[in-house]
Amino acid sequence: MRADAAPIIAVDDVRKHFVGRRQRAGLLGALRDLARSERTLVRAVDGVSFRIAAGEVVGYLGPNGAGKSTTLKMLTGLLVPTSGTVVVDGRVPWRERKAYVAGIGAVFGQRSTLWWDLPVIESLELLRHMYRVPAERFTANLADFRALLDLDAFLSTPVRSLSLGQRMRADLAAALLHEPRILFLDEPTIGLDVVAKERIRDFIRHINQARGTTVVLTTHDLSDVQRLCERVMIIDHGKLLYDGRLAVLQERFGGRRALVVDLEDDAAGGAGGPVDAGGVEAAGLEVEGAELVERDGLRLTYKFRRDEVSASALIGRLSAALRIRDLEVREPDIEATVRRIYEERLLEGEGAERT
Amino acid sequence: MVHSLRLYRRLIGMEVRAQLQYRASFLLDMATSVLIVAIEFGTVAMVFGRFESLGGWRLEEVALLYGMAAMGFRTMDLLFSGFDPSDFGERIRLGQFDQVLLRPASATLQVLGSRFHLRRLGGAFQGVLIFALAVWIGDIAWTPAKAALVPVVLLSQIAFFGALFVAGATVTFWTVQSIEAVNILTYGGNELINYPMHIYQLWLRRFFTFVVPAVFINYAPALYILDKADPLGLPPWSRFLAPVVGAGMLALAAAFWRVGIRRYQSTGT
Repeated sequence: MRADAAPIIAVDDVRKHFVGRRQRAGLLGALRDLARSERTLVRAVDGVSFRIAAGEVVGYLGPNGAGKSTTLKMLTGLLVPTSGTVVVDGRVPWRERKAYVAGIGAVFGQRSTLWWDLPVIESLELLRHMYRVPAERFTANLADFRALLDLDAFLSTPVRSLSLGQRMRADLAAALLHEPRILFLDEPTIGLDVVAKERIRDFIRHINQARGTTVVLTTHDLSDVQRLCERVMIIDHGKLLYDGRLAVLQERFGGRRALVVDLEDDAAGGAGGPVDAGGVEAAGLEVEGAELVERDGLRLTYKFRRDEVSASALIGRLSAALRIRDLEVREPDIEATVRRIYEERLLEGEGAERT
Repeated sequence: MVHSLRLYRRLIGMEVRAQLQYRASFLLDMATSVLIVAIEFGTVAMVFGRFESLGGWRLEEVALLYGMAAMGFRTMDLLFSGFDPSDFGERIRLGQFDQVLLRPASATLQVLGSRFHLRRLGGAFQGVLIFALAVWIGDIAWTPAKAALVPVVLLSQIAFFGALFVAGATVTFWTVQSIEAVNILTYGGNELINYPMHIYQLWLRRFFTFVVPAVFINYAPALYILDKADPLGLPPWSRFLAPVVGAGMLALAAAFWRVGIRRYQSTGT
């Protein structure tokens, strides 16, 4: 982000505390709760700060209960923080609600924004009036979205009859008809099949590139993040653990890349079968810079670190020693990476990483 | 302002078109609505078959109370469908109020425009019939002032009960589910004003005079229209307090509603 560009979203030391009632277990506990319930302080968001520049696509990740939805609600004006400041596009979201929401689009994956019993097009028409979109802009945008999202198939269908994928597309069109500068998405691809997910992602990417719309999306699907987001923020227990590029996250915690080699014939001798990382059976299969972790007949799996040896160097060394029929380089699994970060608390205690 | 009115009309239009999608259900509901009011009044009429009068009031005089209350309450029920506490509470529970706050229009306008149960017109229409019956059978000495008072009374009732609906809906910001106590005031209140107030016990009359001033929105104006003496000892100008009571209640309810929205934005639910 250029130092001179003012961020479109500025969040400073935002906290959101809820007074929760601790529910005690069992029938006796429930009865006790009726009489006198214990109050607990839930720190849903506990000192989060970040800046987002116009035109960025940012992923916001975290396990369930981490504070993602709460943060999103504060960014969209639905919740007022306990402390801290939020300024989006020059406004404080909850203070100038009507003026503010006229300039943003929001899609919450679980709930539709459209009128349930009426055809999609009627919802879009009404929203046009609500957002005061000039007729020509509306027609132009609608034509654009009809092409990109293939809306014609169901524009006249009542929302209640739509499939989840169609409803998601309709919700996206509805959220963008008034050309907002910022789009907030809460789990936009949840529950969708692979083809539908791709379509949604392509559309979001197009909107960002063609119109410069800033996109903030929360998701559990890391492919969403991989496909769409240059930058990712990870939140857990109300604190921001990481704020930077996904590739860097991968490099630091990503585990090793894999090189899977299919041999021409039983070049090294021996019957084959899986082999432990520690128990390589025959010399000639080892190579400098990588570890042979598995042998399954003619298929060998080596693990190596990006910063220790490049894929091409490794391939060169192996080709010199073995007769290779085919090979494949596999990137570490992002899901596994992030899961490890949550479970092993790899980022805690470091403060938010900025890269 | 014009934009808001147009938007309200459009929102209502969406609701009506949605209801008409389910034509059979709509017609049945409408018929039921008419029947309910008719049957309720029918039972009152039957009581009169047994007793000559109710607290000194003849059937056609009670019918005046009944008709006006039905017109007022049922019309309110239609206009304020969006604030119906049990429905609103359910929407709060399902998190659907967020959608209202995410749109660039007044939250109040959106809630008002979110429901418009046409079937409730059936009950209002039935009220018109009962009122017509009261006028036809009874021997009311009509004056221009009295004739002008009727629509004023109806508007006041709409405001009065609308205020109770709004307040009942606002409570669900705290309780999530609507509370029974609200029904006692709304539906119970509607029942209450169907009959001449002097038949009630003192504590009940006091409550509905000083706490929830329902006595001024039907009974007091009816006294004026029927040229009856006031057994309760209220000052004569109290017969024209209906609009003041209605407007006052609505203003209070609106203030409470705004508090409710602020609370929702600070706690989520």
